[in-house]
Amino acid sequence: MALNLRQKQTSLIVRMLNLNQSPSPGGGISSSSSAAAPTTAEGEEVYKILIMDGFCRSILSPLIRVNDLRSHGVTLFFGIDKERQRVPDVPALYFVRPTPENVDRIAADASRALYDSLHLNFSSSLPRPLLDRLASRLVESGAADRVSRVFDQYLEFVSLEDALFSLAQPRTYVHINDPAAGDREIEEIVERIVGGLFCVLATLGVVPVIRCARGGPAEMVASALDARLRDHLLAKPNLFSEGGGMAASFQRPVLCIFDRNFELAVGIQHDWSYRPLVHDVLDLKLNRVTLPGEKTAVKSYELDDSDPFWAANSWSPFPKVAEEIETQLSKYKQDVDEVNQRTGGKDGVEFDGTDLIGNTKHLMNAVNSLPELTERKKMIDKHTNIATVLLGHIKERSLDGYCDCENDMLVKGSVDRSMLLGLLRGKGTKEDKLRLAITYLLSFETPPPAELEQIETALRESEVDMYAFQYVKRIKSLNTSFAASSASASRGNIVDWAEKLYGQSISAVTAGVKNLLSAGRQLALTRTVEALMEGKPNPEVDSYLFFDPRAPRTGSGAQFKGPFREAIVFMIGGGNYVEYRSLVELGQRSQPAKHVIYGATEILNGVEFVQQLTELGQKMGLGGGGLTQSQ
Amino acid sequence: MSKVRDRTEDFRDAVRVAALSHGYTESQLAALMASFIMHKAPRQSAFMKAALKTLESIKELERFIVKHRKDYVDLHRTTEQERDNIEHEVAVFVKVCKDQIDILKNRIHDEETEGSGRTWLQFRDDASHADMVAHKHGVVLILSEKLHSVTAQFDQLRSVRFQDAMNRVMPRRKVHRLPQPKSEASKSDLPKLGEQELSSGTIRVQEQLLDDETRALQVELTNLLDAVQETETKMVEMSALNHLMSTHVLQQAQQIEHLYEQAVEATNNVVLGNKELSQAIKRNSSSRTFLLLFFVVLTFSILFLDWYS
Repeated sequence: MALNLRQKQTSLIVRMLNLNQSPSPGGGISSSSSAAAPTTAEGEEVYKILIMDGFCRSILSPLIRVNDLRSHGVTLFFGIDKERQRVPDVPALYFVRPTPENVDRIAADASRALYDSLHLNFSSSLPRPLLDRLASRLVESGAADRVSRVFDQYLEFVSLEDALFSLAQPRTYVHINDPAAGDREIEEIVERIVGGLFCVLATLGVVPVIRCARGGPAEMVASALDARLRDHLLAKPNLFSEGGGMAASFQRPVLCIFDRNFELAVGIQHDWSYRPLVHDVLDLKLNRVTLPGEKTAVKSYELDDSDPFWAANSWSPFPKVAEEIETQLSKYKQDVDEVNQRTGGKDGVEFDGTDLIGNTKHLMNAVNSLPELTERKKMIDKHTNIATVLLGHIKERSLDGYCDCENDMLVKGSVDRSMLLGLLRGKGTKEDKLRLAITYLLSFETPPPAELEQIETALRESEVDMYAFQYVKRIKSLNTSFAASSASASRGNIVDWAEKLYGQSISAVTAGVKNLLSAGRQLALTRTVEALMEGKPNPEVDSYLFFDPRAPRTGSGAQFKGPFREAIVFMIGGGNYVEYRSLVELGQRSQPAKHVIYGATEILNGVEFVQQLTELGQKMGLGGGGLTQSQ
Repeated sequence: MSKVRDRTEDFRDAVRVAALSHGYTESQLAALMASFIMHKAPRQSAFMKAALKTLESIKELERFIVKHRKDYVDLHRTTEQERDNIEHEVAVFVKVCKDQIDILKNRIHDEETEGSGRTWLQFRDDASHADMVAHKHGVVLILSEKLHSVTAQFDQLRSVRFQDAMNRVMPRRKVHRLPQPKSEASKSDLPKLGEQELSSGTIRVQEQLLDDETRALQVELTNLLDAVQETETKMVEMSALNHLMSTHVLQQAQQIEHLYEQAVEATNNVVLGNKELSQAIKRNSSSRTFLLLFFVVLTFSILFLDWYS
């Protein structure tokens, strides 16, 4: 059974929208079907008003559209901070985070008697002190009977795709790696992450086996999560017995927790596929992209699984995407011409009697297919616009050069110095140059100092902030376990040796063969996850810690490390579409097909991640001036 | 399934504790707890009652269609007459629902104009209307969308019926052509028989007979042609009417959607409007002080000039 996070979250939200009454017939309702009638037990509570706060609105926005809300009987929706007026004789549905401000606001609304009855849904568990606070406020104003029901929904995460989720906790990487952070702050962050992960597991209804690397935030999060799950499982009934007895160990997934420092290069590099490009250049947030149109009209597009072109082409490289758009456009034009021809378009067409019935049939088909054709046209327009804007950016910033250079460095381990320095001095925004330089740092264990000097001078000439660069240098010197470089270094050795012996031709051949064999480079993350899922002894992952919330606390018991069919991979500090793609490919190419869900505290593109690194560099007090490499 | 997530019991306990700490008497406490268990029936406005009634009738329409679906679609169960009956009933039903929705819509509109006419100066009342008006528009929109989906369902059934009807007509046309040569052939047999019996002296009579028969043939053929053409035009009409029902309802839904969106915008505009008004009031008071100051200075300057000269 494949774990489909987005569908589960959607069905829970639909149930919530129906005021948590008996689940509507038909099980999980996908967000695109809007034909569900408001089936309720009592006929009186059919129409409701939905009130959300900012975070919960971002939870709902990738899952449900406004029209679909209407099909569940929601007439209006408001933000909780907005000044609202009385709407008598409707129940109000609140979906908010359990914070003191929200609780006060709810109490104020209840005392003003804005709505007839309130149904409160908190996105994660409401702690006891807040519950008492709510109760006392309500009793003071005498409005306690207005609150009909209170629920904990455990939905405090954003699921962007079927197998991709984010906890929407910004700047976690900065906070965790902040040199000035105290213990208490780190604990708070760990608590928040554990809360979010607990919600994810509760929604999926599984208790996984947890594995993580030793030391660092991953271990803290894993042990805290283990403790929380154990405490929760002691109470019966609990959230995990809802899933219907899936306790057989071969069905349990493995939860792998990683820290961003495990592999920094992925977060920074430029990628050439469609989806990471849109994310990077056009700032894809919550599956929505906003383009500045002509005449200062801002257009925003929705890009998710319901768009067939996006679903089919989001991992293809950019030139191929442009070709695909062309083919789709010509096919569309063909279809439109056919329809016009059959129904006697504009120029006079023979309307002879014998063919009349055929014509009416064609007319009916045409009328039926018109909505579909308009949909296709809209989709093609949308992607054409996006591709055009992307192309403009790529030309302006010569992103293809950056992609090639970084790819060479990370995969082949070789660097074309002239191209590198040319890019650093040439076109491209400051962040692009910085990212290239950092990728250079990360791809070599010990870069030759002369080159490093050249790169630093080039960067300084282009007036690039050096904070992030210095920070990565410092981190690299402190932390020698950058797994990414090891793989590429070994490949680089082979190629260098071949080059020395046989000249250029062999290296070209091997490069070509490599490209055929591996469509993208093998990320360290993917390798580790594969090893963890296989369960065979492997020097890389044997040192990883093992937590099993279902096993008894005392005594080791049999540690089940065997092959897992499903995995949940969590990255603390900032996830990336490139990682998501490689994990999806891993799931597809193993036999039998495995299923991997990927999540992170937030999904960052390269620019944002570099900003966080810059912030850390500033906090560390690393000057913008030149520091000789300390080694 | 929702036992763990339901915190209502915890909430009620917390309320009880809070009530005790606030010094509620026993009777007040009992009343509070009772009100939790039994909700007092919410008073429903007339608008909501009408809306719920309309919803009921739409649901009944849906049930009716589902019940008769098999009868309607299956070729051999019912006659054409019964199918027409079903269609007629459904059309009447749809019209009734549509009228109810229209009444609701106009009611909102009337209440809106009436409210705004009376309370031009009392901004608070206007503000409290905006949300409610938007909500009512939302209710009406939901109703009309539901009606639209039900009629779309029915239109699908109708198109299936028309397909069957058209398929039946097509082979019939081919069958029609066959009897024509047959009748021609039988007609040409008669003159042959006539020829055998008559001698050459009655050739003129034969010719007249032939002429009559040819004319009769012509008339019959033209009749047939007319009949066929009539059938075809009827087919065209029916296929054009195919989407009629659902498009009308769709139009209505679109209109209502437009109104709804305007109402939602109005709720935002009211807030902005209030802000602008308070700013205007502030500016008003500040300009008043300035005016006062100006006049005072003017007076003093006149007195000064008077004293000076």
